[in-house]
Amino acid sequence: MPLDTSTTYPLTKLRLDGRRWNELRLIQAQISTNPASSGSSYLSMGNTSIMCSVHGPAEGRRGDASGTAGGAGAIVEVDVNVAGFAGVDRKRRAGGSDKQSSRIATTLRSAFQSHLHTYLYPHSTISIHVSVLSADGSLLAAAINACTLALVDAGIPMPGLLTSCTAGMSGSASTPRDPRNDELDPLLDLSLPEEQELPVLTVGTTTCVPVGENNMDEEEGEMKVAVLTMDSKLHCTYLDTMLAVGIDGCNQIRELLEGVIKGSSRA
Amino acid sequence: MKSLRRDTSSNPQAANVTSKVFVRSTKSGKVQKIVRELYLRQDIPCSSKLCALCPSVAPADANGNIAPFVLSDRPAGTKAFPRGHYLVPDTNALLNGMDLFEHTGAFYDVIILQTVLEELRNQSLPLYNRLLSLIKTDEKRFYLFFNEFRLETHVRRGPEESINDRNDRAVRSVASWYEDHLRVSVKMSKKEKSLPAMVVITDDKDSIRKAKAENVTALSLADYVAGLEDSEKLLDMMSEAREARDTKGAAQGELFYPEYYSMSKLMTGLRAGNLHQGVFNVSPYNYLEGSIKVPAFDKALLILGRDNSNRAIAGDVVVIELLPKDQWKSPSTKIVEEEAVTKNDNPDTDETEAVVTDRERKALQEEVKQAHGKNSEGKPQPTAKVVGVIKRNWRQYVGHVDSNSTASLSGRRQQTVFVLPMEKRVPKIRVRTRQASDLIGQRILVTIDSWDRDSRYPTGHYVRSLGELETKGAETEALLLEYDVQYKPFPKSVLDCLPAEGHDWKVPVSKEDKGWIGRRDLRDLLICSIDPPGCQDIDDALHARPLPNGNFEVGVHIADVSHFVKPNNAMDLEASVRGTTVYLVDKRIDMLPHLLGTDLCSLKPYVERYAFSVLWEVTPNAEIVSSNFTKSVIRSREAFSYEQAQLRIDDPSQTDELTESMRNLLRFSKILRQKRYDAGALNLASPEVRIEAGDEAGDPLTDVKTKAMLETNSLVEEFMLLANITVATKVYDSFSQTALLRRHATPPPQNFEDLINQLSKKRGMELDVSSSGALANSLDRCVDPENPFFNTLVRILATRCMTSAEYFCAGAHAESEFRHYGLASPIYTHFTSPIRRYADLLVHRQLASAIGYEGEDGHAVIEGVSTRGKLEDICRNINFRHRNAQFAGRASIEYYVGQALKARGEKMAAGGTDTGIDEEGYVMRVFENGVVVFVPRFGIEGVVRLEDFVLPGESGVYSVTERRELAVHRTTDFDSEEYTLRVSEKNHAEKDRSVQVELFQRVKVNVSSVKEEGRGAGKRRVRVLITG
Repeated sequence: MPLDTSTTYPLTKLRLDGRRWNELRLIQAQISTNPASSGSSYLSMGNTSIMCSVHGPAEGRRGDASGTAGGAGAIVEVDVNVAGFAGVDRKRRAGGSDKQSSRIATTLRSAFQSHLHTYLYPHSTISIHVSVLSADGSLLAAAINACTLALVDAGIPMPGLLTSCTAGMSGSASTPRDPRNDELDPLLDLSLPEEQELPVLTVGTTTCVPVGENNMDEEEGEMKVAVLTMDSKLHCTYLDTMLAVGIDGCNQIRELLEGVIKGSSRA
Repeated sequence: MKSLRRDTSSNPQAANVTSKVFVRSTKSGKVQKIVRELYLRQDIPCSSKLCALCPSVAPADANGNIAPFVLSDRPAGTKAFPRGHYLVPDTNALLNGMDLFEHTGAFYDVIILQTVLEELRNQSLPLYNRLLSLIKTDEKRFYLFFNEFRLETHVRRGPEESINDRNDRAVRSVASWYEDHLRVSVKMSKKEKSLPAMVVITDDKDSIRKAKAENVTALSLADYVAGLEDSEKLLDMMSEAREARDTKGAAQGELFYPEYYSMSKLMTGLRAGNLHQGVFNVSPYNYLEGSIKVPAFDKALLILGRDNSNRAIAGDVVVIELLPKDQWKSPSTKIVEEEAVTKNDNPDTDETEAVVTDRERKALQEEVKQAHGKNSEGKPQPTAKVVGVIKRNWRQYVGHVDSNSTASLSGRRQQTVFVLPMEKRVPKIRVRTRQASDLIGQRILVTIDSWDRDSRYPTGHYVRSLGELETKGAETEALLLEYDVQYKPFPKSVLDCLPAEGHDWKVPVSKEDKGWIGRRDLRDLLICSIDPPGCQDIDDALHARPLPNGNFEVGVHIADVSHFVKPNNAMDLEASVRGTTVYLVDKRIDMLPHLLGTDLCSLKPYVERYAFSVLWEVTPNAEIVSSNFTKSVIRSREAFSYEQAQLRIDDPSQTDELTESMRNLLRFSKILRQKRYDAGALNLASPEVRIEAGDEAGDPLTDVKTKAMLETNSLVEEFMLLANITVATKVYDSFSQTALLRRHATPPPQNFEDLINQLSKKRGMELDVSSSGALANSLDRCVDPENPFFNTLVRILATRCMTSAEYFCAGAHAESEFRHYGLASPIYTHFTSPIRRYADLLVHRQLASAIGYEGEDGHAVIEGVSTRGKLEDICRNINFRHRNAQFAGRASIEYYVGQALKARGEKMAAGGTDTGIDEEGYVMRVFENGVVVFVPRFGIEGVVRLEDFVLPGESGVYSVTERRELAVHRTTDFDSEEYTLRVSEKNHAEKDRSVQVELFQRVKVNVSSVKEEGRGAGKRRVRVLITG
């Protein structure tokens, strides 16, 4: 058994993989990795690596009920596939998707459905395929980042980059904060062993909101939280700290992804 | 197409990322390969106060704090390292010498490596936890250095390198890095400071050799300790296990015990039902007889002799195999004590040593003779042998060195001695020591390291000395250690949780204050408390008042401890570990800090206090109309002792309201009590005496009092029971899974078999154990008109046949299993003593939540009582603590009685001869070579051996040694079916020269305290002589 965060972090302020509390894992990304699709990307955050490809906007399938519903704008379809070899245990799935991947798919769909300028493509479908090659924590966050890159590669208009990151809280986060002891130990960008041990919050932010039919004009440079999910139990007094840490992480990631996009267009 | 492989060239940081790959196997047998990233960095400080470099790079945590540097700039040195040193132990050094590292005399400024910590965790979780708590304390200056994350000290495993070699290499590389680093940084600071040496401590010879080649100072633990002051004492504290194995391996000694089965064989056997698992138990009267209760059989299985018990020690979880029927035996009818049989064993391992000595074999043989009797006691019972140990439950044992086992008393030579543990059921422990002469006459703490097949006794090592035998301090500490009572003072973190006002804390005057939210003002009620005299921690108070409709309002008010102890803070955690307050004769070990227990929570008279109240409306016939729970503020009018309350109630001239209210309470309590007995509640008895600490000058024996039962005792008891039952129902309604309840399981009828047999044989009485009501009735009928104590004796014996009550959480049992057998209540919990029991505190929180009490800050948190897993852990702990607290209390009384008798004896001896005290005793058990006698006056049970029977015609008292010689000349005639024992002199079997005793018989005894040679030394055996 290796050590765990809850015992060693308070002693050394170092996490299981040697990071400090506010450090991201190593992020590497490329776009246009798959010439056969409209847009594609490969992104790794630490040992979590994800391939994403985007097809469309294309004409909606005929006879599809959503074809009529999509009259106002494009429909975003997301399909998430976690490879059998992605986790620690090799899983052999008999087709279909499991609970985890369908939850990620749902979150991605609703995030990008509202984020993209879909009204530009009525009666059409944008389909996103996400393949998780290896899963080592912050899966949803990595998937959001990979999708953003692939959508940019596909040239689908969006108001800004939607980037995402996780934040956790070390210590006994299920009881209210002790008012006399104001020290908190938030952590940024959690790896799998940390995710299994601590409460995790996934935050996704974007630089501005879509100017859709609602015509909401917002000031440039203002940030909005677009995605916020958490599955674990946490006392509400810790939430704002975690949110702040997560948003800060999203900004760091945004700069990185912008670098990737600009770098690739120059090349 | 481009490769998607990770491209490290573009990113400068990427060079510092490496990965750690390891393989682990899961419980189900799967093998997992785990890959983890490692981010190597250069900002991990060395944490030495000498260093000028690290403070500038040391990073801050999320709150902007930088961890203080730990290692001293003037570390202690030894002769070999005059400039001081930092120690870098490897895993083996910690495994063998954790007691040394915890020692306060040496081992300061220690660098613990991440590698070592991780390896230690894999090897031994208890040691890992001890190391962690060492790191957390500031005094010892232990620094946890994350070497694997520091770029310079990260070590990659070579292709052909074993993991142990790699870890050793990591330790050496840290030492050499530290040396270089400190040299540079001290030079930079330009101050003239001497560099401390880096000393690697390792028990691996190969590693020491390699260290020499790499120019790193490395010493074995023994070599290092040898260079310290009082090295002898410290060397004794090293674990024997490893050393012993080394030497034994060479000599290839004889193997005395059969080998344990392999783990897979055990598992298959258990699954197939051929083998059984259970906790090994040793008879307190016969150290060679063990028993084990397994779910597959109703009755416990016997394990006879050393061969069959195969190195199991009382408390171990073992796997057993049944023996064939021809080896079945009856349980022993003899008292066999270890030191009597094996007195002359040589502690140094002899080649001729056999597992079962001839003397032991003889002792066993005689028992087998009895195997073919007719009644149930004599019938052969299934026996079993131990074939494997699942979990050792070895702890540290308190004992003393057997002075007979020491060779020379003067030399400083290392020698092997036997340590006799206080706990009779634990075999002697072989300990190697250099300070035998100093240890004789001391209470010492030892721990068992191993028990190998080639050794007759377990091997252990010395931990520390508690002080001289029979001194109050040493014996009290011994007692607390034996029963695992946490007696250290409360740490600062706990005291920090107390209200800042201290003793000046008061109930807020203004009702607008948040402290009043959700509280009822009951200050105008005439509430009083009734407790034992001198009670400081007053948990409960009562009142009764007539209502306009002719009914009465009765209230029980319990100290509102949960107001002060918030869930999951340091104080709560400490209390949950302690579980209960432990009462010794002259000492109380509190569960909660003094300030709360005896002042702020305690419902002291004349002051306002927070309380948790249970209010009932009852009819004049004590029928309960309704019940109600509320947090409240009360002001107790008076704190009575039981006697005072009784006097006041009985005094017809007192007619004030308070007295009237107490009279009402007393009247109700009598009705309630009768109802309870009608429902089948048991009136049990335990041999309790209480010690009232009197003045020094008087005869200490007069302080020993049997507990008197006044009406007021049962007054309080009845209402506490009623409150507990009412609360249990309410809590269970709200938390069907997690309510904390208390149950007393119905004892299986076979537990009573022996007692039923004995009663019908000796007295022609019947015991009906079909239900608690039937048992209560039949116990009432067990009366001997000539022997008023007989009934109590039977009740004591019946109580011992029952299981003990336990805490549990509601989800763990079906509702039908909630029953409290002794109280004949379908549901029960503990609510009324939150100051001294943790269970009550939890129930308070649950009840507060059940009635929707919101707390001061608007949200009362019941976190920790709402998760069942956590609650079950707590139940396990408080059950254990509760039991131990009872044992410790009893042992303390026993010790006090012994000391009182001793003091009296000495006084008598000064003025003549010590004649002891003549008392009445009752025979509780009859063995083939002695009886057990219960002396109600002192609440003690004494074993009466052959020599302690005073035969007719003998003059009274002999000295212990003289009497011992008598035993050889005595012979016995034991009838196991009639439970009689006739003691006579050999060749003089005439009736008038012999003594016959039988079960339940009243005998005259002479009680005195004698210094015991054997294992009880220091405890003073209370000697009981049967005089007629």
